[in-house]
Parts: sequence; C-alpha cells; structure tokens
Amino acid sequence: MNPSASNDPNGISRRGFLQLALGWAAGTLAIVASAAGAVRFLVPNVLFEPSLIFKAGKPEDFPDGSVTFLESERVFLVRQGNTYRCLSAICTHLGCTVNRAEKGYHCPCHGSVFDEQGSVKSGPAPRGLAWFQVTLSKDNRLLVDKSRTVAADQYLVLPTKV
Amino acid sequence: MNNSVRNFYGWFTFLGLVVGGLVILGYYRDEYREWKQYQHRFIQEEIRRAATPQQKVLAETTPVEVRQILLPELNRVDRCTTCHLAVEDPSYGGYPQPLAYHPLHEQHPFEKFGCTICHRGQGRATTTADAHGSVPHWDQPMLPMKYIQASCGQCHEAADNPAAPELARGQQVFETSGCRGCHKLNAVGGNIGPELDKVGTRRSPEWLKQHFLTPSAVTANSAMPPQKFSDADLDAIVLFMLSQTGESAPGYYASMKVIPSAGQGQRLFLQKGCIGCHSIAGQGGKVGPALDDVGLRRAPDWMMQHFRDPQSVTPGTVMPRFGFTETEARALTEFLLHLKERNVAESLPSLMNPVERGHEVYRKYGCAGCHGPDAKGGVPNPNAKTAEQVPGLIYVADGYTKAELNTRIVKGQREIPALDPKRAPPPLYMPAWGAVIKDAELNDLVAYLVSLKPKGEDVGF
Amino acid sequence: MGRSIFRVGLPQSNLERSQAMTSSFLLHIQPAKVHKHSIKAGYSLGLGLISLYLFFILIGTGVLLMFYYVPSTERAYNEMKDLQFVVSAGLLIRNMHRWAAHLMVLFVMLHLCRVFYTGAYKRPREFNWIIGVGLFLLTLGLSFTGYLLPWDQLAFWAITVGTNIAGYAPIIGPKVKYLLLGGNVVGQEALTRFYALHVIVLPTLALMMVAVHLWRVRKDGGLSRPDESGDVIEQIPLGQLPTNKSYGLMELARGTTPQVGKNPEDEVFSWPHLVFREILLFLLVAVVVLFLAIFWNAPLEEYANPIYPPNPAKAPWYFLGLQELVSYSAFWGGVVIPGLLVTALVLLPYLDRKRVGVGRWFARERVMANSIFTICLLAAIVFTIIGTYFRGPSWSWVEPWQQPPAVTEGH
Repeated sequence: MNPSASNDPNGISRRGFLQLALGWAAGTLAIVASAAGAVRFLVPNVLFEPSLIFKAGKPEDFPDGSVTFLESERVFLVRQGNTYRCLSAICTHLGCTVNRAEKGYHCPCHGSVFDEQGSVKSGPAPRGLAWFQVTLSKDNRLLVDKSRTVAADQYLVLPTKV
Repeated sequence: MNNSVRNFYGWFTFLGLVVGGLVILGYYRDEYREWKQYQHRFIQEEIRRAATPQQKVLAETTPVEVRQILLPELNRVDRCTTCHLAVEDPSYGGYPQPLAYHPLHEQHPFEKFGCTICHRGQGRATTTADAHGSVPHWDQPMLPMKYIQASCGQCHEAADNPAAPELARGQQVFETSGCRGCHKLNAVGGNIGPELDKVGTRRSPEWLKQHFLTPSAVTANSAMPPQKFSDADLDAIVLFMLSQTGESAPGYYASMKVIPSAGQGQRLFLQKGCIGCHSIAGQGGKVGPALDDVGLRRAPDWMMQHFRDPQSVTPGTVMPRFGFTETEARALTEFLLHLKERNVAESLPSLMNPVERGHEVYRKYGCAGCHGPDAKGGVPNPNAKTAEQVPGLIYVADGYTKAELNTRIVKGQREIPALDPKRAPPPLYMPAWGAVIKDAELNDLVAYLVSLKPKGEDVGF
Repeated sequence: MGRSIFRVGLPQSNLERSQAMTSSFLLHIQPAKVHKHSIKAGYSLGLGLISLYLFFILIGTGVLLMFYYVPSTERAYNEMKDLQFVVSAGLLIRNMHRWAAHLMVLFVMLHLCRVFYTGAYKRPREFNWIIGVGLFLLTLGLSFTGYLLPWDQLAFWAITVGTNIAGYAPIIGPKVKYLLLGGNVVGQEALTRFYALHVIVLPTLALMMVAVHLWRVRKDGGLSRPDESGDVIEQIPLGQLPTNKSYGLMELARGTTPQVGKNPEDEVFSWPHLVFREILLFLLVAVVVLFLAIFWNAPLEEYANPIYPPNPAKAPWYFLGLQELVSYSAFWGGVVIPGLLVTALVLLPYLDRKRVGVGRWFARERVMANSIFTICLLAAIVFTIIGTYFRGPSWSWVEPWQQPPAVTEGH
C-alpha cells in the first residue's frame, strides 16, 4: 500500500515520506491561502459612507468667542481667540443632539447638562461630550477628524494674524 | 495497485505545489498595485519636508489606502486622489505628476465636485491607464487640457463665464454658422442631422474636428457641407460641442451654477420687464430714469442695495421690491455697469423693427446653415433641381406671397425635386418649422425674407 | 478528538477502507468498492467530475461575489468596476467565476458526448440520461442568467438576442419571454429575475438534480462498462429471501447494484483508489481555473446602452450556433431544429434500446447511432464557429483573416 516500501512492509521510505509531507504541506498551504484570500476579499477597502473627516470652513468664518453648531455633522465649532476646538453634539446618554445653553450644553431628551468643557454637570449622561481633533488642511481650512478624540485641552492654535 | 497509489503521491505534491504557487502569484499581483508606489513616494516626500516632530509622526502614520471622493448627487465616485495626493497643497506646485498641486479649485472644492466632472476619465479606476480612460470600452477619456473649458459649459451658460472665453467663442460660432438649421440643440433646430444634446459624450475631439473639416470622411453619406472655420474657430466650436454632455446640475449644483454675469443680467432684464418703466437708447418706459449711463452715475454697492430694497436708497420711489436673490442682483448690476459697452439696444427685441427681428429669427434657428449667412444659398445639395444647391432667398419676394412663405416655413418641403431620377435623391430638405417658429417670430421672419430683395429690382418669375 | 469528528482514522485495513465511505457524510455517496474499469482515466475522462468541480468552484466564487454585487441597473456595472479596482482579489474571483462558467458549459457538453459514445444511456441508465439532459439545460440556463448580471453592452445585447430567439417559439415563446423579462424589454425587472434565477432557483435545482444524478449512478451499478454480465439483474421474489443475513433492510432494496462477492478480482476499494484520483482531478481543475483567471481578464464593455447596439450583437458562444440558424429562418432554425434536437436527446434512451456496445468507445455495433450523433455534433460546431468568426456587421459574411473595413465610430 505505501509508496517505496522498504524492508518494513508497513514502513515508508524517506523519499516517500518527503513526498507525502510536501504534498500535504502544499495542499494545506493552498487551502489556507484560499481561505485567507476569501476572507481578505470580504474586508472592504473603501467605504461608501460619509467621511468622518470633513472641512468645517475657513478659520475667518468663525468669529472670536463663538460656538457654531454644524448641523449636518452634529458638532460644535468653538473658537476662543486663536484656538479652535470641536465638540461632539451627540449626548453620551442615548444619542440625542444637545443644545447650546447660556454656558455649556443641555440635552433636551433626558435633561443631561454639560459644562463648557463638555463634562457632565448633571443628568443621566455617563461621561462627557467628546472633543474631536482639529487641524489645518493644506488649503487653509479647519479639518475636523471625528475618528480621533482628543482631550478637552488640546486644540488647534493658529498664528495671530488670522 | 501499489504503483497507482505511489504515482498518486508524486502528482499530488506536484499539483498541490502548482496550486499553491498560483494562489501566491494571484495574491502578489493583487497586493502590488500601481497606486501604492505613488503613495509611498508621497509619504517619503512628506517625511522629508516635516518641519516638526509632530508633522513627522503624522506623515509616517499616513495610511496607504485607496482614497475616494463620493459624489452621490453627480452619480460618481472619484478615486483620482489615490495617486494625486497633493492636489490641495499649494506647496506642491510645480511637482511632477501625480504629486502636483491643482490650482484654481477655490470655486469648485474637490469634496463637492471631484475630478471627473471636469476632466472626464474613469473615476472609479485605480490604475493610470484605466483612470485616464484611454482604454477600450470606456468612452469618456480624459479631456485634453486645451478643451478643458468645455466642462464649464455643462453647468454654466457659455456666454456668461469670464473664465471660459473659448467656450463663449464656440457658442458664438455655433449660433452664427447656422448649425441649428439642420441640428437640434436643446430642442430647437432642424431634423436633417442628428440632435446635438449629448454629442460631447459620444464623440471624441479628433472625430469632431474631422467632422467639421470633411463630414463625409467620418460619416458615410453625410449631407453636411465641409465648414470653413479658422483654426481658432474650429477649436472653439469643437470645444462647444464637447460641452454638450447632457449632465444635469442637481440640487446643490443648480443653486450654485448661475454666474452673475452681464449676460445673465441682460436675460433677467428682459425677463422681469424692466423696459416697462426704464428706457435704453430712447426706447422704453418713461416712469423711471433712462439707464444708458447709469453705470457712470451709480456705484455698484448702491445698485445692489437698490435691487434689494429700492425704498432704502430712493425714498418715495414707485419701483417695487422684486425679491431678487443676491446672485440675480449682482447679475443685474453687472449688466447695468456694462450697458454702454454692449450693443444692447440692438439686441432688445422690443427695440427692433420687424425686419431686424426677423433677421434675429433667421440667425436663431440656423437658417444660415443651408441658405447661407446672407441668404445667398450656395450650400451643395447633390442632385437637387435648384442647380444642385440649396436655393438662395434673396428673391423670394418675387416668387411667393407672404402667405405662401408662411406655409412653406411652417410645413417645410420634404420631397426636393431631383435633377436625375436615377440618382440618389437630394439629401438636404426643408424641415417643417411650424412647431418652433410661430406667431410673431414667423411674421418677422417672413418680413425679413421679403425685405431681402435689393431695392429697385424687379426680376419677376 | 479527531476520532469524534472523523469517526474513522486513516484507513489501515480493508474494513476501515469500506467504512471510510459508508460512515462519512460527504463521502457516502461513493460505494465502498468500485470496478477497476470505472476508474480508468481514458474511459470516462473524468468529465462528469470535472463538471461537478467547476460547479463547486462556481458556487464558492459566486457566493463571494454576492457580497459586493447589487442587481440594480444603476449599481451593477459600478460594482463590477469596483471589484476590478478596489476589492482585494476581486478581479481574480470574478475571472475565476467567468472562466469556470465557460468551462462548465463546455465540459458538460463533452460529458454528454462521452456518455453517448460509450452507450452509457442504455438500460438501466435511461432515466439518469434524462436527468443529465436536464442538468445540461440547467447549466445553459445558469450561464445565460449570469451573463446578464454585469449589465454592460456585451451582457445586455447578448440577452436581448437570446430572449428574442426564445420568443420565436410558437404560442409559448412570447409568453416565456414576457415571464423571463418581467416585461417587454430588458430592464431592471429582467435583471432582478435573472439574478434570482441565477443565485438561488437554478443552483438549487441543479444541486438537487446532481444529487439524484450521482445517486442513480450508484443504483444503476456504477459507471457503465463493457461486460456487466456479472451484475445480473435479478428479481428476487420476496418469499425466497435468505434468512441468515443480519442486514435485512438492504436486501429489500432491489435493483442493480454490484453484487458484492461476485467479481472480487475486478473491484478495488474506493479508498484510496477512487478518492485519491478524485482529489487529483480537483487539483488539476483548480490549476486550470486559477491559471486562466490570473492571466486572462473576463470582459467588461461599456455600460449597457439600450439605444446603441454593437453591430453585430451576438449571443453567448453556446448560443451562437442557434443564432446562425435563426439568421436563416426564425421558425425552422430557431424553433423546429433545436426543438427536434432536444426532443431527440431526451427520448434517446427510449429510441435506442438495443443493449449493445455499452461501455466501449465508438463500439462497432453502434456505428449508425454514433454517426448520426457525430454529424449533428459537427454541424453544431460548424454553425457555432461560423457564428463566432465568420459573421460581421449586420450578420454579413466576413473572413476573419481579413482586415475589417475602417469603421466610423460605432453609434
């Protein structure tokens, strides 16, 4: 039954064993590679959703001391002097859009109250509002990246002549 | 039995290795895509230029991936930025492609417009050849830069756009050469030749050029006479043809596309009936002031405010608030500022006499294309009894009454008498214009035609 | 743990070799032992198996493609482009699917020829032949429905031509066409229906029929071979059943099966002889499909444009012979002749009942049947070749070795 049987009728010669091992290795490799390929095929390389990175506009468009609500992106653009920050407007409780209050923010759904830094002052929200990374794009627009959250004290500072 | 099984192991190994090898080969061809080398090059350049450690980290952690601009309203996905990574960065001006900066994109930000709406090509592709579109089975290759103004014409009025003078010139050539006499464009024109509404998507620049020079070389049995354009006019009209793509400007784009130019202002001026109260060149209403030199008397800001709210600049005025949008107000302002420069008086229909208006109609519907720009005929019509030419119209007053002319224009003449019945019938005929030329325009046209006979002659038919 | 999944280890004894077949879910459709003649490569050429493997490859790649493809006239074409440009291995999987599809149509046809030339449709295998013809038609249907899915010019016009040919059938033709297209034109409805047919209806039918087809092979006594006198078809009257057997249930399943013990010298264990050959054949098929897929791209022409047909518009290659016939006469060429041929195929085993020449290629005793079949086959090939290479614009006669005349831009 076995290839190249030597003295031992149940044994297998070295050549036969190598052949067998190589054959199994090649076969396994082919199967594993095909399966891995099929899985990689299913991982999308591009998404057809609105991008998490967007341009908020020119720095000059936002007056000093302003808090501007960008409705389509559900964020607030906060400018203080030459510092620019971007706060998420999505309440951390159950996802409603918060409103700007006199000082801070207030959620109309269940009454969560957030302070100017986005931290929870009262209400059912479990944690503060997220701050998103703001950078300057190559064509001098404020570039907000909603996939990167930053600490409340990290902001974009532009040279004073802006 | 032993032999067969022993052979099996050898074959199994061999084929297993071949399959494994092919799978790996397939994997490599898939992994090593053309665009990755450009992205690596860009990343290296960014690292080299990094001025601060943060910038260096940012550059080093740039992901290598397909980049795309989603344009659902325009039904496109543009992946050009996968290779053209520095289009928004002015500091890359002058770099070799694909890393060069793209100037002049302020008015048309990439996130909203992408690339292919202007440059054409295949936006979804990620290899150079396929993306630039000069491949089989893609009929929208990239537009050569010399024709790039054609793309402006997809949204903007050709004559309005100061940034696209070639396009405006092309439209002018089109209107004055009488192309509409045979070809419909935007539902106006004759039906001898094909409609031109989407000719920009179906024909290449080379084909179009050849078509104007020698139509029969590119279209078998074409009745179109060869056109004698200057080189500049030829390029311009090719460009204008390329701009006819049938692209609509939906939603956001429709709201943005109106250029507040003097031409747009003139259109609004006519539309809103300003001539009812104001006069130009002595013609028009006397209620409001004459507008001939208003550009010298009033500043643009005053005019803008005047359009927004006449009472605020002229208390007690009877001019109503029209509710113009900012763009409309700006267009009207432009128009008034340049009133002296434009021969507006000659182009306002209400200021012309019937013969002049008729001449406009003659021009507008492209009669010149067959009957000649000065109605002298001369366009070849093989085998036609009328000396194998389209007849001139100078002496129609002698052969036809006004009523007969009316009928001929409205009904056309499909069957043209042939010189030799054995030859093919004459290809050019008179289309029935009744659906588009009617009432006032028809009467004016007839008046114009009748006026063509030189004074004092009486040939008699 | 291995034993809990596989139940039998690598077979070391004859008993275990038998059990490898009978106690395995995947393998138990195979008999424990096969006749030596059946595994001769030169006899069957493995054509049926190759067709089956191609079908499995098609199912595998097809399911993967379903994760991206959308059967919408607006989106389908763009998804095909995305497969080519942004999906990892997208082009490879699509190419594999396309070439496996063409190969499967070809090999099913070759398998049909093999079965004919070896007379393997005769008693007791008549019904299996009919199932086979059914599978052949299903294969054509699968290929045809899949052809439309890319929604490019090639797909759109091939299906327009194909459904028009179908519409020529008398009485039922236009109705079938209306049902297929979900209307009168090839549009979104047609695409939806073709997609449904292609991914679920036809494959399920095909799988079920394949299962019956293989089961019948078992029940009819394995593959046909020259001398089956050893397998005498006996009707064992119920009263005469021997009583000393313990597997009583097996006796009641009467019919033709290899009589175990009658010809022991001629039979070998499926494990390893049959199974190893099957694995080898699968590797070979995989090599060919992969090779084609890596080096040749499946076509994708312009986006489907109902206004501008390519000239000429051609049906898929397996229908080109039909299209050529139709160009002579829609009724005779498109309805009568194909109808007669398919009917003849289906009724064949009941028309040719003489049980001679079974199990041998081109048996002398069957010279008449073989000749008729060969003539029809050659005619089909000739017409297909004409339709492919010798027909140009407006279906005019062209010679493919000549330069085509300068064509002004298509439209």
